[in-house]
Amino acid sequence: MTDPIFIERLPAAGDEWIDRDQRLCFSFEGRCHRAYAGDTVSSALWGNGVRLLGRSFKYHRPRGVYSMCGHDANVMLEDGETPNIRGDTTLVEDGMELTAVNTVGSLRHDLAGLNDRMSGFLPVGFYYKAFHTPSWMFPNWERMIRGIAGLGKVNPAAEWKPSPKGYDACDVLIVGGGPSGMAAALAAGRAGGRVVLVEDTRCLGGSLCYAGATAPESAATVNSMRDELEKLENVEVRLNTSVRGCYSENWLAFIGPGGLTKMRATAVVVATGAYEQPAVFRHNDLPGVMLGTAAQRLVHLYRVKPMQRALVLVGNDYGYGVALDLKAAGVEIAAVADFRETIGKGELVHDVKTAGIEILAGQGVYEARPAGGLVGIKGARVCPVNSAGTGLSTSATNVNCDGIVMATGWAPAGDLIGQAGGRLDYVPEAAQFRPGELPPGMFAAGRVNGVFGVDARLEDGEHAGGQAAAFAAGKEVPARRRPADEITAPSYPYPIIKHPKGKAFVDFDEDVQVKDIVNAVKEGYDSVELVKRYATVGMGPSQGKISNLNSSRVLATATGQAVGAVGYTTFRPFTRPTTIGELAGRRFHPDRRTPIHSRHQAAGAVFMHAGAWLRPEYYGPLVRHQAIVREVQAVRRRAGVIDVGTLGKIDVCGADAAEFLERMYTGRFSDLKLGKCRYALMCDESGVVADDGMSARLGDDRFYVTTTSSGSAAIVREMKRWAIIWGLEVTIIDHTGQFGALNLAGPESRRILGRLTDLDIGADSFEYLGFRQAVVAGVNCRLMRVGFVGELGYELHVPAQHAAVLWDAVVEAGQPEEIMPFGVEAQRLLRMEKGHQIIGQDTDALTTPLEAGLAWAVKMAKPFFIGQRSLKIIAPRPNVRSLAGFVMHDSTVMPAECHLVVDGDEICGRVTSIARSPTLGQVIGMAYMRPDQTIPGTVIDICVEGRLVQAEVVKLPFYDPSNERQKS
Amino acid sequence: MKIMTCPVNGPRPLQEFVYGGDLTEMPCPDQATDEQWAAYVFERDGAPGLHKEWWYHAPSGVWFIAERDTGTDEICRTYLYND
Amino acid sequence: MPHRLLRFGLSKKYNEPRMFRSPEQLKKSYDVVIIGAGGHGLATAYYLARDHGITNVAVLERAYIGGGGTGRNTAIVRANYLTPEGVAFYDESVRLFQDLSADFDLNLFYSQRGHFTLAHSDASLRTMRWRAEVNKHLGVDSELVDTAFIKEKCPHIDLSCGGHAPVMGALFHPPGAIARHDAVAWGYGRGADQRGVEIHQQTEVTGILVEGDKVTGVQTNRGTVETSKVVCAVAGYTPPLLEMVGIKTPLVIQPLQACVSEPLKPWLDTIIVSASLHLYVSQSSRGELVTGASLDPYPIHSTRSTLDFVEGLSGHLLDLFPFLGDVKIMRQWAGLSDVTPDFSPIMGLSPVEGFYLDAGWGTWGFKATPVCGKTMSYTVAENKPHPLIEPFRLSRFKEFELVGEKGAASVGH
Repeated sequence: MTDPIFIERLPAAGDEWIDRDQRLCFSFEGRCHRAYAGDTVSSALWGNGVRLLGRSFKYHRPRGVYSMCGHDANVMLEDGETPNIRGDTTLVEDGMELTAVNTVGSLRHDLAGLNDRMSGFLPVGFYYKAFHTPSWMFPNWERMIRGIAGLGKVNPAAEWKPSPKGYDACDVLIVGGGPSGMAAALAAGRAGGRVVLVEDTRCLGGSLCYAGATAPESAATVNSMRDELEKLENVEVRLNTSVRGCYSENWLAFIGPGGLTKMRATAVVVATGAYEQPAVFRHNDLPGVMLGTAAQRLVHLYRVKPMQRALVLVGNDYGYGVALDLKAAGVEIAAVADFRETIGKGELVHDVKTAGIEILAGQGVYEARPAGGLVGIKGARVCPVNSAGTGLSTSATNVNCDGIVMATGWAPAGDLIGQAGGRLDYVPEAAQFRPGELPPGMFAAGRVNGVFGVDARLEDGEHAGGQAAAFAAGKEVPARRRPADEITAPSYPYPIIKHPKGKAFVDFDEDVQVKDIVNAVKEGYDSVELVKRYATVGMGPSQGKISNLNSSRVLATATGQAVGAVGYTTFRPFTRPTTIGELAGRRFHPDRRTPIHSRHQAAGAVFMHAGAWLRPEYYGPLVRHQAIVREVQAVRRRAGVIDVGTLGKIDVCGADAAEFLERMYTGRFSDLKLGKCRYALMCDESGVVADDGMSARLGDDRFYVTTTSSGSAAIVREMKRWAIIWGLEVTIIDHTGQFGALNLAGPESRRILGRLTDLDIGADSFEYLGFRQAVVAGVNCRLMRVGFVGELGYELHVPAQHAAVLWDAVVEAGQPEEIMPFGVEAQRLLRMEKGHQIIGQDTDALTTPLEAGLAWAVKMAKPFFIGQRSLKIIAPRPNVRSLAGFVMHDSTVMPAECHLVVDGDEICGRVTSIARSPTLGQVIGMAYMRPDQTIPGTVIDICVEGRLVQAEVVKLPFYDPSNERQKS
Repeated sequence: MKIMTCPVNGPRPLQEFVYGGDLTEMPCPDQATDEQWAAYVFERDGAPGLHKEWWYHAPSGVWFIAERDTGTDEICRTYLYND
Repeated sequence: MPHRLLRFGLSKKYNEPRMFRSPEQLKKSYDVVIIGAGGHGLATAYYLARDHGITNVAVLERAYIGGGGTGRNTAIVRANYLTPEGVAFYDESVRLFQDLSADFDLNLFYSQRGHFTLAHSDASLRTMRWRAEVNKHLGVDSELVDTAFIKEKCPHIDLSCGGHAPVMGALFHPPGAIARHDAVAWGYGRGADQRGVEIHQQTEVTGILVEGDKVTGVQTNRGTVETSKVVCAVAGYTPPLLEMVGIKTPLVIQPLQACVSEPLKPWLDTIIVSASLHLYVSQSSRGELVTGASLDPYPIHSTRSTLDFVEGLSGHLLDLFPFLGDVKIMRQWAGLSDVTPDFSPIMGLSPVEGFYLDAGWGTWGFKATPVCGKTMSYTVAENKPHPLIEPFRLSRFKEFELVGEKGAASVGH
């Protein structure tokens, strides 16, 4: 490998951001480069004389340093792992291997650079105007366009890394550690309360870190304020932390070294500064053309000489300071071209004049003169501008330079204000947007607030800090006021010069030119939102931070409106693109396990998700089908036990408990005798089946109710609400997580249970649908004699901490009978043989009890229950569909659940449950069908993969129709 | 994230709450016409403005009423149903 | 280089005609006034003019063309619904969509990608089979597919879903497509405009005049116009308009959020939806991942974004695509959805004569744009509901004849 490229920097200066003691090596496009620790990729490359840092999205034009603060969306890199690495803000790490994104071949020899020559054929929205005819060609065109579009490549093998998340709260949050933010932090900190100051760069000072001649005393100011802040223990400063979004009620998201922090702030001071805005002229995008603050950052922070000979294009006095900074860094200043006819009389202007720099008043740049291959520039053509801001090409003069530095104005970094619901208003005399009405608890200070002089920013910050502290403390908030600002014209109103040959760029991310916006307007896209969507201004990775203002200006001119009337597009999170990994954090996936979970694991259970719960689907080691058959046979012939602890388990107590259940459920409960339980079906207010379970009477004023596993939380919730609405004396106690439950079923279950309890469980003394409370295996237990699976069976409910003990005891006691644990699948089959419906499987979001064969459980004669009135409307009509059982005599083609019951073209219904019954030796199922088809003996057609198979409708249940077994 | 004040538990993050729809009054089922009943079951006041809504604080199981402006999402008042 | 682009390079002047005029003022009266210049309103205007010869039509828009749901959805088109009524309706829409670029002579980037709805449980697998079977019975191309098939079409997906809730299969719908949503509104707008329809942007309806039970006119911030027919096609802004005419509906307004990543080179060719994860994602032809989740949990008439949404969504994206951790989300936004209890629209005549409803679009309005224009224009022209939308009549609620699409539309993309 060749020696790393390195060009020595400007002499060391006190506040530089690079550490000259630490040298790093990295490669870019296959070439080795040396850098200092603290360099960003762009500063290192630019310092090493590299001018071609990336290519643009559409025309693949060469691009270089532009903002140096995160808006250089054309300097996007990738390292094989991470796509779209920003060169201007990403620190160099030793050993990095970087290439530019989205080139064909290489960055230098990018074949897609041809697009630039073809740009005349690719006008605004060109892709809407072609490629669709003939239509069969479009997929090919699309494939090509997709290949050309897009930036970085994802690496499908990249591994996921968890990222931390934190929560925090403070009284006053200050966003931005520049002079106004620091002043605000000091003011708020002195007022007491917890103050957090967030700064997205590596140190406090904001623009003063690189202000150079524009704020000569700045280093001292920053240092003394930093010292003051350090003394305040209630002020926390977070560096390298950027606020990405402001959500309702001052809920803010930061990304910092500790990942995502979610901050609740009582008051927020937005001191985010301003985005410097480019001037627009032909070739204003090429390497060597950059913002004044970008040049200052290179000079002061990284000690990189940005160019050899510069033309400084200004529209404000700030630019004169930039010229002085460049000169001090050894850059030859070809001239300062000032858009303004009447130049300022300030100190900086005076100093520039004194330094002998030529000032071209009332002149703008007509075009930059590209160097070979468009990589850099070799000069500029400067021309007078008239009052309309149009350049006069006829009198343009050549200036030789390899850099054009633009200092023509600012846009407030008002993203957070907009996201929080605040407004920015255009102030014509300042040629600026400024915060208008601010949301409650939000204050603005400094350049974002349209205040530019350093002293004025300090005063503004102090005032805003005081306002925020007062707001946070619930005190009267001092009125908003603007400090006296020595800088009254920070921005030039129209730094845009059209060129007949185009290539005057408004948006660099998307290669949108002035003419594109003008042409979009001609086509009728004449509002700021339509231009955004049609011309894609502001849609790229920098989200319009250095393009939206100029776009609004061009649009205003094209439509004959004021900039304020044109407005701006809505600010949305994020202020900076934010990684999916940081947002996802550690990704918790909670599962609910029953108290018997470990026993299932030990027994070889294969688990399935049932809502949030994990339940045994069946028990291995047999394959699924065999395991299920074995479990079914155990229950039918001997005994089985299933964990039903996921059921909702609710105590309903109080004087009105019976009345309450009468109203909640469709059945009768006031006549339910002590020591009895009963099926309980619930509808919603529209008469649709909502849930079911069992209800047992524990006492005159106490019932125990179960619900479906998935419905429990909602049922508890609704019960509580209705109890309030009806004003009944009833208390709802949710035992779902507190109780475990199991169902012991099978002809031998009485024998097994008898070994564990002194309770008299004889067939006559503990009858079917009886309820008892007794000690079983040493545990206080609620016992329900139920028959969901169609056998003699007992549901045993115990406090969760005893559930595993009970399970062990049952399994142990059942050894002589070879008891088997059974899973959800066996239970589904068993209950189907018995013709029992599962709510949610055999019903859907519109099923009424009348359709689902549950009319027997609905007591329409009661005074009231939820859904009754709706059922009264529905009941007189013939059902559209009805649930019925069927058997298949020929089961060579086996339907699956949800295959359709059809009659010719008509869809009559669907199969809801189907299985090969080991007990009956045939395929049985339940299906919705036309009511006339439910007559036993009817042959129905089921459509299976395009084939019709026949099934015979039979009366339910399939198994033990006389209920002898479950009642035995 | 928004903060909502549960009348029992005080201010809590909105994630802990479940929205329960507008507070409506059930017409007398015996007296209401079918059409009136259907209106009760299905019709909603979907317009922006101040609504009286049911909210449920899930961790503690408390239902209460919130007066909330559905246009601005401002919660003006929360109180128990019987207050 | 397509020959259609040659004219731009070869001509010095930019001669593209306006897409839509901006008429100076409102006329005194119109045959039909359509409220809302989104896809639905403009499509209705377009087909009224093209198929029914009714051209004295004004489309009134409070803000700008396509600025509501049309420009905020995630641009997915599909027909794999659950009910026969829904399938027939959306299938017609897909058919119309496929020819729309040619109809408009405007490239909508209608891109057939294939649409997967993943099932992570046997219950959702059942629902997917139900949908597939109904679809196939009605001639719509849908299939229940296994995990191997998913992996073949979308090789980078992690079917173990981070080990939490593994993917068990999917409903695959080959015609599922994405399109440039804004352009759909622009195309309909231009077509309507060319046929004489007036589109008035920045025109807010402040009142609807009703005499007896009949519509007689519309008041706006730019004056009052006479008309006997008003179409209400404003989705999330429907309830205030209904208050003006005294119509009650089950509509509730809830925001639906979405977000978009920075552009990436193409790696995802299909549309992936998971109802269990509340996630849908596709990659636009520009290379951005366009992704969204389910409706916000309570009503608000505001397009604010929430952090909860994008945090949850990011986690779920990583469940399926764990390598996306370093990909950046660029922007999030929200739109307003007018949701019905049965997840089907409310369309057709209303209790007020001359007032036509095109509402209840929840999260599924974009994909219905063409069929909506077709059927609503018929309904307005004939003053009787088009057969395809008859099941979606407002009166179905009081008749207890809902069209249950919850299973197919609740995470509706």
